[in-house]
Amino acid sequence: MSILIDILLAILGVYLAMQSLLASRLSQSVFLFFAFGLALALAWVRLGAVDVAITEAAIAAGFLGVLFLDALRDFSPRDTEEQQNLTTVQNSLSRKESKSLLLPRLALVLGLGLFLLIALEAVWKIPEGGGLTAAAETLLPESGVEHPVTAVLLNFRAYDTWLEIGVILLGLLAVFAVGGIQIYRKPIAAADDPLMRQVILFFTPVLFLFGAFLLYIGKSGPGGAFQAGVLWGAIGILLHFGGIPVYSWVPRWLGHLLLTLGLVFFLLLGFLFMAAGDNLFEYPPAYAGLLILIVETLAAISIAAALTAIFANLNQMKKEQPNDTAQK
Amino acid sequence: MDVFFIIVSVFLLLNIVLGLVRVWRGPTVADRLLTTQLFGTTSIAILLVMAGYLEELTLLNVAITFNVLAVLLVIGLVQVWKKKKGETR
Repeated sequence: MSILIDILLAILGVYLAMQSLLASRLSQSVFLFFAFGLALALAWVRLGAVDVAITEAAIAAGFLGVLFLDALRDFSPRDTEEQQNLTTVQNSLSRKESKSLLLPRLALVLGLGLFLLIALEAVWKIPEGGGLTAAAETLLPESGVEHPVTAVLLNFRAYDTWLEIGVILLGLLAVFAVGGIQIYRKPIAAADDPLMRQVILFFTPVLFLFGAFLLYIGKSGPGGAFQAGVLWGAIGILLHFGGIPVYSWVPRWLGHLLLTLGLVFFLLLGFLFMAAGDNLFEYPPAYAGLLILIVETLAAISIAAALTAIFANLNQMKKEQPNDTAQK
Repeated sequence: MDVFFIIVSVFLLLNIVLGLVRVWRGPTVADRLLTTQLFGTTSIAILLVMAGYLEELTLLNVAITFNVLAVLLVIGLVQVWKKKKGETR
């Protein structure tokens, strides 16, 4: 009977993914994508991957949502003249794209199809009992944590996780590269809106506490650095909305330190134990639990700083654009 | 009892499907955003039902994550509107 839920979720997920790509209006696409994120989170829950579900919920419902809303403001035409420009641009684009984009599209479809086939084959090949699950379970006592997902992420395959933290930093570097490193201004009249101030006062502790909870619970259940990082990053975004851009009162060196802290400490730790004769990212089992907790905390701080910086830079960039056009 | 949980879950999922109409038609961004907030609430409800059904309390963490981050979207929209008004003035 519960297969009914699964079928409904599967249809909903595929339908939403398709419609968010095909919708004619930008705002439709954006909100269908939110709905897609929610459906995906529910699907992960049904698949028993609660860790992924929490991450999906945090990224899709929180961070991406805000980024998309911000982008939506930028792409929504401000007056009729701009609207006309937009439609003419769209028309000229649609005329051109039918020919020139055929080849890239074909390549994309073929590439994705191939990737899907490879993925399907890999799934097909998983032996009875779930591949490496048994191996991870038997080594669990040596990893220093009780939750197999955290053990795999931060102990057995720490190198992958280290790279993942680096990917977020790379995203920030891409934003820097496009927009230039912003010189943050002094805080603008900090939250003179009473409602906004109350929201900040209420949600900052809640977000911090729940983030810390997820970080700590990662030891024994679903949760961990990425989820906590997104929740802490949400604090930075909230403060930014309230007119207190975090990076304007944090000194520049401290901001950069926070951004790279997780990555650097993780790597230093890896090399330290390599110098002591172990492999890269191999912890001594006696201290593994404590070390993982420290690494996770620092990684969460870095992720939060990076997400806040990405949002702050994108938001700032647009604020300054009207000035640029006025000067021209 | 199982049947009851499943019926409730399916009913809530169908609620989301019905809400999609508003995302499609909603004349303003605010209509669409409110619908998405409704989806968030419905998802929390589904998660709570599933947590009861599967007796897996970690699902509550997913529900709380949805819950505490929902406010960001609304604030984002309000700020977007504020700035847009300022620009047209």
